[in-house]
Amino acid sequence: MTPLAECLTAFIFGTTVGLLVQRSRYCNVAALRDAMLFKTYRNTKAMLVAMMIMTLGFTAFITIGAGKPMHFDVGLNTFIGLFLFGLGMVLAGACTVSTWVRAGEGNIGAIWALLFTFIGMFLFSLLWSFVYWPPAPQTMTGTPNLAGLQFGFANAATLQSKTGIPAVVFGALQALVLFGIYRAILKRERAEAPVSELEAAAVESAACDAWAEAPAEPALQGAIARAEAGQSA
Amino acid sequence: MELFKKTLNPVAALAIIAVLDIFLFLVVGAWTVGGGETMMTGLIAKFFMGGAIDRIPFWNVAFPPDPYYWKIYISLGMVFGAFMGAVLSKEFCWRMPHRLTEWVMITIGGLLMGIGIRLAFVCNVSTFFGLTPEMNLGGYLAVSGILAGTWVGTWIYKKNLEG
Repeated sequence: MTPLAECLTAFIFGTTVGLLVQRSRYCNVAALRDAMLFKTYRNTKAMLVAMMIMTLGFTAFITIGAGKPMHFDVGLNTFIGLFLFGLGMVLAGACTVSTWVRAGEGNIGAIWALLFTFIGMFLFSLLWSFVYWPPAPQTMTGTPNLAGLQFGFANAATLQSKTGIPAVVFGALQALVLFGIYRAILKRERAEAPVSELEAAAVESAACDAWAEAPAEPALQGAIARAEAGQSA
Repeated sequence: MELFKKTLNPVAALAIIAVLDIFLFLVVGAWTVGGGETMMTGLIAKFFMGGAIDRIPFWNVAFPPDPYYWKIYISLGMVFGAFMGAVLSKEFCWRMPHRLTEWVMITIGGLLMGIGIRLAFVCNVSTFFGLTPEMNLGGYLAVSGILAGTWVGTWIYKKNLEG
């Protein structure tokens, strides 16, 4: 595929994703934060379903050697980086996807968050130029390098080549675990007293757009009070 | 069109995205956000700094700015698709955070996201929709990291709401 064709494919994919995320109000931050704070799982369920489909699809194609899995070494930097990212996305009220989507909806706060994401990346590029850690992709070896706090590279393909068991079998196991979590959420939702739909909608829109809709705050306060009452009960 | 009149079920939306992502995985690689932003940062920095950018090794060694990097166009597509969706459903309007604390949180949050992406090489999209479905070891490290980070962030968010 020529670089131009790759860019065009990526643009078409991105446009469809932007449209679907905008129309569904899906939000990755809400998928994690609302599950922890409000015990509401609207976005969490969507995320789990997508992960199940992708796990089966990716590992099925990896089994026959098709597809282009990501290939870089991982290490302690992966954990620390995502820790900082997780903290940042809750503070900003949006992850990278929702910042782009909300920028498209005319949200100045989202554009501001993006601007500072770029600034954060530039600051990191300056820091990296002194410490050279984590290792650049060109110098990655694929094997554990404990001095560099790197654990090397392993995925469904390496599992298949090491064990001789098709990657899709491992994929099916992972999908089953994800399905178990999904079912536990459904069970929990059924067990809890149903929240009126109007109230639930208010909490959802507030949770995913905390800093854009001032009237949402009372709904959030109410949800926190409810969550706390539920915990002490 | 019905799509632009009421909110789409997120499970349906994400299921469609998952199928499309499998196609993308076959053609160029799984859905990812972060690499494109890094490249945009590099291109913007190059625009303002010119040849001086070569003095920063990161942009020489790790990420030489390249406008034909496909990941850039996923992000541009997302903002375009969202804009189309918002305009067609009459939801487009300029809006802004109201309070200073919100601006401060967005600024710190944005910076942490940028630094976190570069430290880990991935963001939350690759974590949940790329690395983990590929059963990459990094996916499990990243999921643990993001859950811990979100937990701390949620605690701060809750304190801020209560205060």
